[in-house]
Amino acid sequence: MWLPVLGLALGLIIGLIVPISMPQAYVQYMSVAVLAALDSVFGGARAGLEKKFDDVVFITGFFSNTLLAAGLAYIGERLGVALYTAAIFAFGVRLFQNLAIIRRHILKK
Amino acid sequence: MKRGQLYVAIVLLVLGMMLAVQFRTTKDIQQNAPISRAQELTARLKDVTEERDSLLIEVSDLRKKLEQTGRKGGAGKAISDELDKARMVAGLTPVEGPGVEVVLNDSPKKLEPGEDPNLYILHEEDLLKVVNELRAGGAEAISINGQRLLANSEIRCAGTTILVNTKKIVPPITILATGDPKALQSSLEIKGGILETLRFWGLQADVQQKQKVEIPAYDGPVVFQYSKSVKEGD
Repeated sequence: MWLPVLGLALGLIIGLIVPISMPQAYVQYMSVAVLAALDSVFGGARAGLEKKFDDVVFITGFFSNTLLAAGLAYIGERLGVALYTAAIFAFGVRLFQNLAIIRRHILKK
Repeated sequence: MKRGQLYVAIVLLVLGMMLAVQFRTTKDIQQNAPISRAQELTARLKDVTEERDSLLIEVSDLRKKLEQTGRKGGAGKAISDELDKARMVAGLTPVEGPGVEVVLNDSPKKLEPGEDPNLYILHEEDLLKVVNELRAGGAEAISINGQRLLANSEIRCAGTTILVNTKKIVPPITILATGDPKALQSSLEIKGGILETLRFWGLQADVQQKQKVEIPAYDGPVVFQYSKSVKEGD
């Protein structure tokens, strides 16, 4: 359990310390990507509680979801359609569902 | 499960980095962007205002010089008369003479809820129409709230105000015009004409014949950057 927590803490520290600044034009893509990443992580946590966790599915899902979300936002911007709202909506709904399921699992224990 | 934990750790590391970068960038945008932009614009405005002021001083300076050379040039009275006439036609000297005074204002009516306020205020179109009628009626010189109309003066809507010679004009608007007072008044007051239309919408529109109206000179710079006069016979 400590290893993932360490990873998250390390990531936060690296992100805060290393002066990588993103061009403002990409902030929107990044925000959707972050949402997708959060969704994947919560999905993984849920799968872990349901004892269905598969590391390959998890890691591929994380990266493909993140890239797809950012790509979708990018394409949407080119097309003039606010496609990123679709991504926000889908990931937002799933985030809440996953959270609800995780909460029930924890309450049952 | 050890391998799984490692993967999860890597994924969370990436997520943490993304989150941190995103936090920082969002914060930067909120803090910096509007302030620096406002500062930049303020500085620009100050520069431009200063530039304009110094240019205005230069204009009056040059005009004085032009006047002096015109007077003591010694090349004869004819030339200076010609110059005076040209300057009067161009709108660079104040003029006076018989004419009319047109006073326009927004409607005094209180707005009922749901009514379009645009119907009851004076628009640049109305001014244009009045000026056009005055010109058709033989007006020689026209000023709007002290702004002399030149050949290249604009009458333009700019938000809640009207621009004339790039100066803001707000109601009440007084238009002065020299010319035959009777002809000017009747051209405005003609049945179905512009003043009748304005009054129909409740706007205040009055025209008065005057024995003497004084119309100021144009006080801005006159620059012909692209046009050149064509000499006949060339």
